This record gives sequence, structure tokens and C-alpha cells, in this order.
Amino acid sequence: MHPDTARTPDGEITIGLPDSLNYEHAGRIWEEVIDILEKDQPRKIKVDFRGTGKVDSAGIALLRLLRRRCLKKGIDLQFESVPPSCEYFLRYIESEPLPPSERPSFSLSRAISSLGTSSLRETLAFRDLVRFQGELLIAALKTVRSARHFRWKEVYYYLQLAGAEAMPIVFLLSFLIGLVMAFQAAVQLRQFGANIYVADMLSLALTRELGPVFTAVILAGRSGAAFAAEIGTMKVSEEVDALVVMGFDITQFLVLPKVIALALCGPLLTMWANASGIFGGIVVGVLTLDITPASFLQQSYNALVMTDILSGLIKSLVFAVLVALIGCFRGLQASKGADSVGRQTTSAVVSGIFLIILADAVFTIIFHVFDW
Amino acid sequence: MENLWLGYGGRVILEDVSLIVHAGEIVTILGTSGCGKSTLMRGMIGLLPPRKGRIFFQGREVDPEEGLDWARQKMGVLFQSGALIGSLTLSENVSLPIEEHSDLPEELIRDIVQFKLELVGLGSFGSYLPSELSGGMRKRAALARAMALDPEILFCDEPSSGLDPITSVEMDELLLELNSSLGITMVVITHELPSIEKISHRCIVLDGQARGIIATGKPAELKADHRDPRVQAFFRRQTLDG
Repeated sequence: MHPDTARTPDGEITIGLPDSLNYEHAGRIWEEVIDILEKDQPRKIKVDFRGTGKVDSAGIALLRLLRRRCLKKGIDLQFESVPPSCEYFLRYIESEPLPPSERPSFSLSRAISSLGTSSLRETLAFRDLVRFQGELLIAALKTVRSARHFRWKEVYYYLQLAGAEAMPIVFLLSFLIGLVMAFQAAVQLRQFGANIYVADMLSLALTRELGPVFTAVILAGRSGAAFAAEIGTMKVSEEVDALVVMGFDITQFLVLPKVIALALCGPLLTMWANASGIFGGIVVGVLTLDITPASFLQQSYNALVMTDILSGLIKSLVFAVLVALIGCFRGLQASKGADSVGRQTTSAVVSGIFLIILADAVFTIIFHVFDW
Repeated sequence: MENLWLGYGGRVILEDVSLIVHAGEIVTILGTSGCGKSTLMRGMIGLLPPRKGRIFFQGREVDPEEGLDWARQKMGVLFQSGALIGSLTLSENVSLPIEEHSDLPEELIRDIVQFKLELVGLGSFGSYLPSELSGGMRKRAALARAMALDPEILFCDEPSSGLDPITSVEMDELLLELNSSLGITMVVITHELPSIEKISHRCIVLDGQARGIIATGKPAELKADHRDPRVQAFFRRQTLDG
């Protein structure tokens, strides 16, 4: 379906529209109209509607774009034999307000302004996080004063959810990490006849570093995300507002039970992860290094001192609190809309992992200074 | 619709409902909460397969097993909540169905979207996210999206719910304007009496206990003459006890 065109020597073109100017044909007709505008450079265009029955939104868009192009190029545009069904649309086209402004192009001042805005936003977010920590501390102190009113049932619920239900995945991942590390170490140590030191390396690495960090990462992915999504959804559906209006302290009501639950299950899961990793090492020891489980455990026992285990558990406690804190904080930052909950949940996991690594670096320095 | 039965799980909501909607008319479906208005609409737009009965669109039977795409391209639906995609701007929301169902160049699509947004009075809000707008604006944006492909029939589920009286009147006027200028057939679910009186050419009254249509006619006729106490109670804003 093509438009008929007729040209006069004085630069006037008449475009005869086909019987339907609709979604189906508008794209092709538009390409041909553009071609006419570019090649012929007409002085005047007449659009003839004779024989045109159906014009829909795509047709209107085409006519409107044509009108804009003609205005821009100083071409006189006329519509002829307009059927009554199109009059409404043509009135609309002719009363068109100014076209929407173009997307602004790059400029240095805008780039600086945008940098300033995002820096300010991040600073405010950090300030909010600090304030949130302060509120949590106050809520914790209030709870100590009136522990009877605290919702301990919620703590048990989240202990089950974040702790007990995470045990299988923590076991599986830690077991595999222990297995892989022991195997890699065995390949090297076997060359020096130092097979038994696989136990030393594995138990030290797990208790001091890998156990707490991996457990915290799992907690961030499972529980931190779940907390952010739960609180975020409550925020979107105005449940948080309802609680505030009813006089509840949101931090005490929603955040503290989650933080306490994670603070309790973080060290417990870390111990579970350490044991699972060492079990993985024993499997490698028995299968490939001819080390008995008893000698592997004895060697690990000899290698470890109390500070190794305690430093790992202290770390795991701090990591778990950070994960819970950032999960709840991100959830409370959700605004209207389902996409906001998704964004905050992602942010909870990413920020959680970032804070774990950051805190781990700080702990490494502190433990080094105090010779732990 | 011919002898339609609709329900959820083991529960039948509507039994043996038959209804014809003529081209160009505005039919309002009304009734008390829970009487099956939204269920009827879900049945009509193919979201709820009928247990029994048949639905015809422009003389052709709508068979879910055959696929509903051909019918869905000719219908627009304005959901009660608006159902705009929260992560997309208004322009992106409106352009979604056009991009999906046409192969128009981007320039034309952009202009159609602008046209639709202007039609509902949101021409300068294309770059806004739904969460940045008021409830009434979200409803109008959802209407623009429902109108994106120039539907021949528009289904509106409680278009004025949650709106203030002035915005509600504006929404009614917008629907009337779309009906009179573009000739769009409309099926509107509502229980707002002023809206019913203003926009409907014909009313269908549903009743939850009867599980079907108990009255049909022009709003003024139903209000003045109908003998069914349930219809009278509805129009006079009374309980059945008086």
C-alpha cells in the first residue's frame, strides 16, 4: 500500500493517502514520505485524504511528524478532502502545543552538578545509616530496661529462619570449601612429605578467616536480602506507616528482633561451618593422604589456640550484626513501587558483602596490633 | 457472552450469564461488593477461562485454546490499581504494547505515546515514574496505556475508585470524550452512582446471591421504575431492610 504522488513544476507535491493510514501501513508510508521530503525538497505539500477510510493513532502520529518537519523546513502543508472521521484528529494536530524539549546534551556544569548531587546523596545515605545505628542502640537500651515487652517470639522465629534453616546450605558450602582447600594444599604439601600439615592449614584458615566470612556472605544472601524485601514490602504497602501511627517504635518492633536473631545465629553457624569444613578436610585426608580422622583432628587441635577460635567468633558476631543492620536499613529505604523493593534488596546484599570485607580488613589490622 | 459460568476453584461466582455489548456503547456493570463484577470482567478479557459458555468478539468465538492474541490486540484494559510497571516511565509503559504488536519506527512510536499521554492530559509527564505521580494521574496514565493500540473495546475496572470527587468527574469526562470522539466501546465496572448516571448508556446489575444479572436498562429507567428491591436499594443507597 503506497501513497500516490503528483508533482507540479513549481515545487508542489500532492500525496494521495491510501485507504488505511493505520498501525499496519504507517511505518512504510512514513519511510516514503521522508524520502519525498529529502529528495524532492518541495515548496508545498498537499495531503489528499480522498479514498482514505481509516486513520488510527499511528496515522495521526505520521501526520503530526509530517507537520513538524514541514514547519521546520518552511514547507506549506495542506490537508484536503478530510473525511469527517479524521476531523477530530486533525483539529488535535493543528492545536498541537510546542514539541517536547530535546534531551539535553552533555555540558561540564551539568556533569559537575550531577557529581555533586550524587556525592551529597551518598553522604546523606551514610548519615542516615549512622543515625539508624544510633536508633538501634537506643532501642536496644530500651529493650534492656523493659525486656518483658520485647517480642521474643519474633527472635525465635528469625532464629529458625536465618539460623536453623540455613544449616544445610552452610554445611554443604563449607564442606566443599574444606574439601577443595585440603585437596589443593595436599597436592603441594605431598611434594615435601608434609601431608599432615594440611590439617594445620585448613583448621587455621577456616576458624580465623574463611568460616566467619563465608558464613556471613551466606547470611547476607539469605537473611539480609530477606529482611530488606520483607521490610521493603511492608513499607510499600504502608504497613510501616500504620505501625508508626499506632505508636510503635519501628526500630524496636521490626529491626531489633532480626538483629538479635542474626547476632545469635552468626557465631553458631560459623562454628557449624568450621566443623563442616574440617570434615571436608578429613575426607580428603583419609581418601588421598592416608591420614586417619583421629590424627587429622589431633593435628588441628594442636595447631589451634583459643584466640584463633575466639577471633573468628567475634568477627562472625560483628558480621552478622552488620548484615542484619544493612538489610533492615535498606528495607526501610524502599519507596513506592515494586522496583524499589528489588533495588533495595540487591543493595542490601551488595552493601552487606562490602561491609563484611571492610570489617574483616579492620579486624585483621586490630588483631595484628594486639597480636591475637 | 452466551450462558457463561465463571468461578474460582470449587466456587461458582456467576451462573449462566448472557450479555451483548453493542459497538460504540458504554455499558456499566454494577452491583454490591463481591457480586462478581470483576470476575465477569476477568472472564470477558480472557484472564479467567469460563467453566461453561461461549464468548464472541465481533462475531468470532473467543477460544482460549486457539489463543487470544487476535482479540487482545483489539481490547484495552484499565485495571483497578492501574497496574503500571513501576520500574518504567510513563512513556515506556505506554510504548510497551506498541513495541510488542507493531513494527513502527521509533520516531512514530514516540509520537503515538506522546499523543496518548496528551489525550489523558499527561503530555509533559512522560519521563516520570508511576511512583512519582498521584493516584489520579496513575489512573490516567494507565488509561493511556490501555488506549495505546487504539482498542475497539475498553474494559475499565472501577476507574474512579480511590479518586477524589473532582478527579473522578474528570475521569468520567475523559471516558465520555474517548467514547464520543473515537467511538470506543466501553465496559465499565463501577459502583459510583454519579459515574453510572453520567457515562452509561446501559447498566447491568449483578447480584451475588442470584449469581447473575438481575436487571438491565438505562440508569434513569432502573432508578425510577425497576421493581426488584435489590435494584431499588442500590440506586437509592439504602439497605434492603429500608
